[in-house]
Amino acid sequence: MCMRTSLPRILAIGTANPPTKVSQADILDRFEVTNPVVRRIFEASHIQTRHLYLPPSQDGIPDESQADLLRKHRKGAMDMGSRAIGACLNQLGVEAKDVDMLCCISSTGFMLPGLTAMFVKHLGFRVNCHRMDLVGMGCNAGLNGLNPVTAWAAANPGKLAMMVCCEVNSALYVYDDSIATGVVNSLFGDGCAAILVRSDIQDDAQFAPQVLHFESHLIPDTWRAMSYHWSEEHGKFSFNLDRDVPYVLGANAQIPVGNLLKPFGLKVRHINHWIIHSGGKKVIDAIKYTVGITAHDVRHTTNTLRDFGNLGSGAFLFSYQHLLQEGTVKRGDYAVMMTMGPGSTIETALLKW
Amino acid sequence: MGLASLKTLTLAEQDHVATITMVAPHSSMTMIKEFNAVLDHLEDHSSATVIVLQGADGRFNLGLDFKEFHPDKAMDIHGFHKWEKMCVRLERIRALTISLVNGKAIGGGVQLALCTDICLATTTATFQLPEVKMGFLPGMGIYRLAKNIGLRRAKQWVLQGNTISATTAETWGLVTETTDNLAETCQQHLSASSPINPVAIQLARRLLNESYHDSFEDAIGHFLAAQQRAISHDQFLQTVDKHNASS
Repeated sequence: MCMRTSLPRILAIGTANPPTKVSQADILDRFEVTNPVVRRIFEASHIQTRHLYLPPSQDGIPDESQADLLRKHRKGAMDMGSRAIGACLNQLGVEAKDVDMLCCISSTGFMLPGLTAMFVKHLGFRVNCHRMDLVGMGCNAGLNGLNPVTAWAAANPGKLAMMVCCEVNSALYVYDDSIATGVVNSLFGDGCAAILVRSDIQDDAQFAPQVLHFESHLIPDTWRAMSYHWSEEHGKFSFNLDRDVPYVLGANAQIPVGNLLKPFGLKVRHINHWIIHSGGKKVIDAIKYTVGITAHDVRHTTNTLRDFGNLGSGAFLFSYQHLLQEGTVKRGDYAVMMTMGPGSTIETALLKW
Repeated sequence: MGLASLKTLTLAEQDHVATITMVAPHSSMTMIKEFNAVLDHLEDHSSATVIVLQGADGRFNLGLDFKEFHPDKAMDIHGFHKWEKMCVRLERIRALTISLVNGKAIGGGVQLALCTDICLATTTATFQLPEVKMGFLPGMGIYRLAKNIGLRRAKQWVLQGNTISATTAETWGLVTETTDNLAETCQQHLSASSPINPVAIQLARRLLNESYHDSFEDAIGHFLAAQQRAISHDQFLQTVDKHNASS
């Protein structure tokens, strides 16, 4: 048998969430939210449950300082990160010391040194592990990370790369009675997903998807549509989400998908599986009706949204995990991964089993 | 597969109208394969905005080809799955679809007619779903039929498998219009549908089909997403330009 390199494959996945699971009604009751507009936003979110690191509830609406929130991000990332990384390593039967490159992605709390250094210190990664922290790119960042991680894996055949998307969205919120914060506070959940990527020197024909191609599409005119800003009033960061976001993304979604598939002679109808970021009900609808795919095609995306809320950068990997667990993937199948976020941007990747 | 070797179908294209003629009487695996090849072509390489589906030799389509089944061979459910996928493609395609039923439509023939936007039939045409009496099921035609003709009628018709006339089919809502001159009536419907905006047709048809199972709350979200898609398309922008130029 001749030695040949294969394209990088995603070999394993592990996910974790905070132990506390709450329904939308739980949150409204717990923090005594009475504003009818905010209550309606929560109830119409198409989200049933979320896992969150919730502050104590003694005094109605919580008032965590930015320092409290940064601490919560670090602790939450450590808690979820260790479990997601552990589950991912176990799936492949390897240990942290076997990982040669570690990329950590987070937008919900700034740390220096970053998450990679923290995980090396506590979780047994080698001190000569290559590290990359990808910070502040938002919900789309998982594919912005997967691109260089697979490139590194391709350049280093046989070596293991791990990517960890870790978002503690409960460490980034402002509460007032506005619709804007109501929407953000009703949407995001906490979660972490870790994957292992490797291009094997000798293709062992294992049943894991190859990552074939990436395509990005930035919409510069809408660079404020999703953004953090410092709220003087509250003394912490606040996230802004324009109401036009779903429509902007919808109007553009066909462009990167078309460019992604074109070099392979593929059309939308040839794609067997869609792994799309659970950005919110309207965003998912916009993608469905513009790309021309069905409720069945986006079932894992809507299920992830329903059970976890918008998990930020790792959300699409939760949908990917659900797809694998469903057991419907066959050899030769194609999948499109699609994440959307600040920029505004649409990121896509093409996978083949 | 290419279009040069079609055996069960022919395809003719003229002035944005693509006509698919089912020259083979039955719906065989070969026909599914060829139908998909034709749809590939129409989706990828054709400027057709209207697809006309018709039969030949005085019939529309007579349904399943029993020669493809054999008591000694394991029954293959995947063939049925392929048929349904093909029907869905026809039902959702970015074009106005018209079926012309001249003669018998049996089983799969009825299913195909149900997948088109407009169904025109000659007054002598007949329709039948004999499957249940033969011990199998008339595909997802069951799902489409009840929406078109109502549950009570659909139950009676599917379970009894009787042949109905085009006039009855029209009364029930299975046929859009009966006529003595299919070509002329087809032309009238083409004129009535012009100008044809395939993107808007595809989106409107999807919302109509989904209206039977989506809740109003879900549907309004779907409508807004679809409307955004429609109004950002050239066809709508041209309408706006034209309107503004004339006023």
